[in-house]
Amino acid sequence: MAILQLIVNGVLLGGVLALSALGFNIIFGVMRVVNLAHGDILVLAALVCAVAYGQWHVNPLLLLPVTIVGGFAIGACIQRYLLRRLPAEIASGEASSLTLTFGLSYFFMGAGLWVFGGEFRSVPYLTSAFQLGPISVPQARLLAFVAAVVLAALLGLYLRTTRMGRAIRATSMNLDGALACGIDIETVRTFSFGLGSAVAAASGTLLSYIYTFNPQGGTAFTISAFAVIAIGGLGNYTGALLGALILGLAQSFTSFYAGSTLADAAPYVLFIIVILLAPNGLLGRRTT
Amino acid sequence: MTLVLRGAAGALLAVALIAPLGVNGYYLNLLYQTVLFVALAYGWNIISGYAGYFSFGQIAFFGIGAYATGLTIMSFQGNWFVGSLLGGLLCGIIAVPIGFVMLRLRGPFFSLGMLGLAMTVRALVSSTPQLGGGTGLFLPPGATLLPVYYWTLAIALAAFAITWWINHSAFGLQLQAIREDETIAGTLGVPQTRVKVTAFVLSAMIPGFAGGGYAWFLTFIEPTSAFSSRIDLQTIVMAVLGGVGTLWGPLVGSILMTQVSEALWAQFPQAYLMIFGGLLVALLILLPRGIVPAIASRLPPARAARERSGETGMVTAQMVSHE
Repeated sequence: MAILQLIVNGVLLGGVLALSALGFNIIFGVMRVVNLAHGDILVLAALVCAVAYGQWHVNPLLLLPVTIVGGFAIGACIQRYLLRRLPAEIASGEASSLTLTFGLSYFFMGAGLWVFGGEFRSVPYLTSAFQLGPISVPQARLLAFVAAVVLAALLGLYLRTTRMGRAIRATSMNLDGALACGIDIETVRTFSFGLGSAVAAASGTLLSYIYTFNPQGGTAFTISAFAVIAIGGLGNYTGALLGALILGLAQSFTSFYAGSTLADAAPYVLFIIVILLAPNGLLGRRTT
Repeated sequence: MTLVLRGAAGALLAVALIAPLGVNGYYLNLLYQTVLFVALAYGWNIISGYAGYFSFGQIAFFGIGAYATGLTIMSFQGNWFVGSLLGGLLCGIIAVPIGFVMLRLRGPFFSLGMLGLAMTVRALVSSTPQLGGGTGLFLPPGATLLPVYYWTLAIALAAFAITWWINHSAFGLQLQAIREDETIAGTLGVPQTRVKVTAFVLSAMIPGFAGGGYAWFLTFIEPTSAFSSRIDLQTIVMAVLGGVGTLWGPLVGSILMTQVSEALWAQFPQAYLMIFGGLLVALLILLPRGIVPAIASRLPPARAARERSGETGMVTAQMVSHE
């Protein structure tokens, strides 16, 4: 029965990880930038929720609009005021955008340490569980899962039906083609970075129901977002859901059998296995 | 210019050799931090600057070196110096398989992979009771900084010598050809995997050796200090400041920044990572090539070309003529 229970926990966690990975994927798809600050934005949002809950007992779900807008603003500013200013003539353009997000990751981690301190925080909300026969479904996890599914569906709808959403998808598919169609690439980039960060902040808000957070935990979430994408195949949304499911299960099982420290390593180990078995799948959508 | 540079380097070396004998603890510590970061920045520069594979996880090797030394002292009653040697060699050995796997990844995926490696090694060490777990290992007290300083200075000199060799050898040209365009380098007959893995191993051994001295100097190692985010970030900031992929950049960057960073770390430990993260972002935008190339490009053209030859452009053509 323990196994069934772990599967339920893993699936519920996977839903939220999938949302986080979607945000990471939008930014990578449009700009070919791996956002190393992804996890740190996620963690900052979660910490804001934890502090707000501690102070005023605000349900994190009510804070979603705040964290989404905040995440969007941060992301749009990163693209518009920092990444865009990187000198174009430098040969290693890819490396400098990457190093920039690496610096930002520490900037956010340091800001988090400065503002919130280093201690772990959590949201002890809805700590009870529904009993389904022998399986208990933790209410907080279920709520986070449902909210993540709703948000992911809204995001998918947005990318498919709106003008900006279609421009984002077009730019991801083919930059030159998008330019030829008269798409304003700079606006699309700013918007995508904003959207990707907003999704990161939203998943942090939802994960605050599940995990305890401190400002230094961001890297693990960046890796997990990337592992989900890598397992599922870059740019493949159905694949990302599958990847998130696998990762959620892996984390739920390792944390039960091997402890939570090693569970943090699970996404990484999966990532390495994928590299070894399917390196081409990983590099499939890399531009030259 | 070359003469001035040689003179300056000679004077610097003389200071590095003699000064520690006549200064008090505070300045000795500062000197130690400087040579430590010179060594680490040169180590990072080999794989990231010359091969173009930006690694954000070299701190993993530093930590492994530190723990190897801790273990040598605690479990085998060994000497810290022996531990440090073993740590560096261990890093060189494990870097071979790690390099084979990691260097199959290109660009950002390699960087992310290395970031994850550092995180995972730290998690593994934290959950291994034989290594002290999250609490760490207390080494016997009695460490004196002077031998650690000279050992780290030797590592820094070796790292500089390796970089000099890279700048003046076919191997170095092969590395830079890989950085410019790996596919073309391959068609020109560069044995990519061998060259990349060699560079990776060199880049891993330098922090591996240096970590041992650091552990002995601290007399206490735990995952957060051995796999320190601060050291990782600071190394990269220094290399970027001086000039990534240049012979003199890591030296200039480390010497300029160590004192500043020590002062900041002492004054604002809480905001330190934020300041340095922001500094890295600012450097990339305002001084993207670093100090050394910025100065070299202002020299008279012929010399500037020679100074720059190791840095951008035409590496592949140069390599063809070299062979």
